[in-house]
Amino acid sequence: MNDAITVRNLKKEFKAYSSRSGLKGAFRDLLTRNYKIVPAVNNISFNVKQGEMVGYIGENGAGKSTTIKMLTGILTPTSGEVIVNGMNPHKDREKFVSTIGVVFGQRSQLWWDIAVQESFRLLKKVYKVTDEQYDSHMAHVIKTLDIEPLLDKPVRKLSLGQRMRCELAAALIHNPPLLFLDEPTIGLDVLVKLKIREFLKEINEKYNTTILLTTHDLSDIEALCERVVMLDDGKIIYDGTLKSLKEKWGEGKEIEFQFLEEVDLSDLNKITASSEVKWEKDDKEAIFTAFTEDNDELISLLIAKVVADLKVKDINIKETSTEEIIRNIYDRGIS
Amino acid sequence: MFYIAIFFQYVAQYMKTRMQYRADLFVEIFSDLLFQAVNLIFIIVVFGHTNLLGGWTRDEIIFIYGFFLVPYALFSSFFNIWDFNERYIVKGELDRILTRPIHSLFQIVLERMELESLFGAVTGIAVMIYAGNSLGLEISWTDPFLFFLFVIGGMLVYGGIFVMIACISFWADARTSIMPMMYNIGNYGRYPVDIYNSVIRFVLTWVLPFAFVGVYPASYFLGKEEWFLYSFLTPVIGIVFFGISILTWNSGVKRYRGAGN
Ligand SMILES: Nc1ncnc2c1ncn2[C@@H]1O[C@H](COP(=O)(O)OP(=O)(O)OP(=O)(O)O)[C@@H](O)[C@H]1O
Ligand SMILES: [Mg+2]
Repeated sequence: MNDAITVRNLKKEFKAYSSRSGLKGAFRDLLTRNYKIVPAVNNISFNVKQGEMVGYIGENGAGKSTTIKMLTGILTPTSGEVIVNGMNPHKDREKFVSTIGVVFGQRSQLWWDIAVQESFRLLKKVYKVTDEQYDSHMAHVIKTLDIEPLLDKPVRKLSLGQRMRCELAAALIHNPPLLFLDEPTIGLDVLVKLKIREFLKEINEKYNTTILLTTHDLSDIEALCERVVMLDDGKIIYDGTLKSLKEKWGEGKEIEFQFLEEVDLSDLNKITASSEVKWEKDDKEAIFTAFTEDNDELISLLIAKVVADLKVKDINIKETSTEEIIRNIYDRGIS
Repeated sequence: MFYIAIFFQYVAQYMKTRMQYRADLFVEIFSDLLFQAVNLIFIIVVFGHTNLLGGWTRDEIIFIYGFFLVPYALFSSFFNIWDFNERYIVKGELDRILTRPIHSLFQIVLERMELESLFGAVTGIAVMIYAGNSLGLEISWTDPFLFFLFVIGGMLVYGGIFVMIACISFWADARTSIMPMMYNIGNYGRYPVDIYNSVIRFVLTWVLPFAFVGVYPASYFLGKEEWFLYSFLTPVIGIVFFGISILTWNSGVKRYRGAGN
């Protein structure tokens, strides 16, 4: 089977100019400007199969947007190889881009001054979509994203959430087999986020659309992507399933207890003295949390001991959240 | 063919958007017409004082100016790229353009067109008719075709030069003030080039060939046989310059760095 995306040793360097200080420096800048070469994307390689949904994550400035811009043919790589939908995005750009859809959350892809449906109509012509294709496909998109009432408004009058939904619909007018989303949920409220996630899942199932998305909201990734690619300083530091990332880096479980009676940390420590448990209580002293290894037997043993000695109001077993795992990786690096 | 169809789609959209603000549209058309009328009076007053300039009569000079206005009107309707650097490079709007399956320059032409500027062509033709009448020029059946050819050639010369200047933004990231300077130089093409010294003449013919937007093609209609060769070079120079500008553009786009956020 052909891969939707193949990337080999891809690299993008930017020149970062710095100006020298003082008048003398300004004169020297006129002649030769000082610059450093900054690798924004540094020798990365990965493949994405048709129909996969991949989360592309990393801290600010890690190089996510730069990668997407190279994959979509906006930027020319410094070196390395990119094959997307069987084409080189930089050669044959015009033919290539009709096989992809792109949404940049930070920037509008629609025309600012004209009504949404006029934008759609124009894009339909630009992408040479026939009336039948448009009607059968877009009617559904418009309904699922609930943008019918927005169609006659100019883009500049839409709220961020409304605009994002329209952007997404616009990126799908030609029903591309591959969709790039750069921070599609940035600044959106929970309901809109949920709607967008549902929608992405649906088109992925319906058309086997490949989706590569970047986000800083890990719940997007958890809801959508089995696979994550993690970028740090222009290099891929993790590429694999979200599940094994969690297994490998999720450090143990947390069990929250609420008690019907007054309890002290020292009581709890005494009760569980025989096992490796660390207790903490929250500020209001209502919830006590036990941190322990992720081992089912240990956990049930721990709960049994506590319940035997104290009157329990509520128990809650939590995994370390992805958020925390990722934060740990950013902080400490993978090694 | 596809590009022609798309062109008319955009024109239709442009009209529609303009119609939505009908009141604005009327005000604008009115002020455009007023502006052109003032322009016309201005030309006649200014050139009223010059009787002979390097062997050219007052009416001939007015005729050249009238001709110039036509390709210039087409140029200003379709090549609004004077703010290309700020709008498309600094703000990164080119990102959007580059993800669409139409040539990037053509998309910018379509997005930025300002059809009101076409009124300038009406003024230009009016000026030519006025001056042509005083000169007693006759119109032969080939004239409309050649006029069309020369006008397109002139527009391509202007467009080519300004596209090349816009391309500087792909190589240098500093803002340049070349654009306004170029608009000034462009004005020299309105006057007969033999009134300038030979260096300026050379520049206006072969380097920044603005003379092909005004004096050279207009000379044909004025029956100035010594310039006919240049008149007929107009479409050639237009195609050559515009062609070079497109090649420059295409290699410039490859160097586009995007706007870091
Ligand atoms: N046009 C540019 N010119 C110079 N440097 C750039 C440019 N675009 C990006 N960079 C640099 O490249 C690096 C990667 O930027 P990029 O926008 O890809 O990061 P990102 O992972 O998308 O970050 P964020 O999460 O903030 O969107 C940054 O250090 C940035 O400063
Ligand atoms: Mg980014």
